[in-house]
Amino acid sequence: MSWALHRIDDRLIHGQVLVAWGARLDPARIWVVDDGVAASAWERDLFREAAPGIEVRVASVAEAAAAHAEEASAPRAAFLLVRDLGTARKLADAGAHVEEWNVGGLHYAPGKEKVNDYVYLDDQDREDAKALLSAGARLIVQDVPASRPQPLGALDPALAP
Amino acid sequence: MSAPQAGEGGSTPAKRVPALIVTHADLAQALVRAAERVVGSIEDVTLLSNEGLSRDDLEDGIEACVKDWKEGGLLLTDFWGGSCHTCGSAAARRHGEVVIVTGINLPLLLDYLHNRDRLSAPELAERLQQKGRDSIRVQRGVPA
Repeated sequence: MSWALHRIDDRLIHGQVLVAWGARLDPARIWVVDDGVAASAWERDLFREAAPGIEVRVASVAEAAAAHAEEASAPRAAFLLVRDLGTARKLADAGAHVEEWNVGGLHYAPGKEKVNDYVYLDDQDREDAKALLSAGARLIVQDVPASRPQPLGALDPALAP
Repeated sequence: MSAPQAGEGGSTPAKRVPALIVTHADLAQALVRAAERVVGSIEDVTLLSNEGLSRDDLEDGIEACVKDWKEGGLLLTDFWGGSCHTCGSAAARRHGEVVIVTGINLPLLLDYLHNRDRLSAPELAERLQQKGRDSIRVQRGVPA
């Protein structure tokens, strides 16, 4: 099955990922790709213990990019999680080929504009989104499997095709 | 409001273990409302929802609640691995006496309320884990 979900979500591992997407797609492994988390021993432990029964690998962008093609041919399903569009862009720039990103949660912070209830973007986010889109990736907004998937460009006029 | 008097058992003894309940949506409020139907008005329990919050904001919200707990306290969350738990774990890391119990249910909450004035936070956490588990029972073949 290999890669079952590439998700952009500032909460990384959390309930929607474990319970909703996890029940639907049954991942054997979750990659948490984040340079900050990978550099922090306690944060690595926090996420490794967060998903009982699922192997969690915490990796830097460079490590994940290097392992990305190999995981694509693994026998069982895997998820890859990043916290923001900038990390997704870095991963693509580092050589990981991702056709579709699930945009699952980019929550409010000062300076960000509302796109929908769980996606807020600022200028840098939009620049990163444009770079991903122009490289051919799809950005699909969908928090849980039961909700309707919509292209980010259909929700945010600044990213309309 | 008058100052508490020394030597008297006020409604808030110094050793009471405080609790913060962090859940999805308004589960925390609903649980406390349900518990109040059983035991009457409840004080000294703080409630927080993760609704619409980023990881950083949720962690900050939890930190703001637990930082004043001088002698520890309990963080009660809905399920292991959810953001309420992992953000709580991150915040609790800076406050050694905070103990987390995941999988809150109504019997667990009621047991906390009954025992929070006599046990320490770690003792209470062990007890609540057992109580929460024991409260889930299956009854089949109910006799006619």
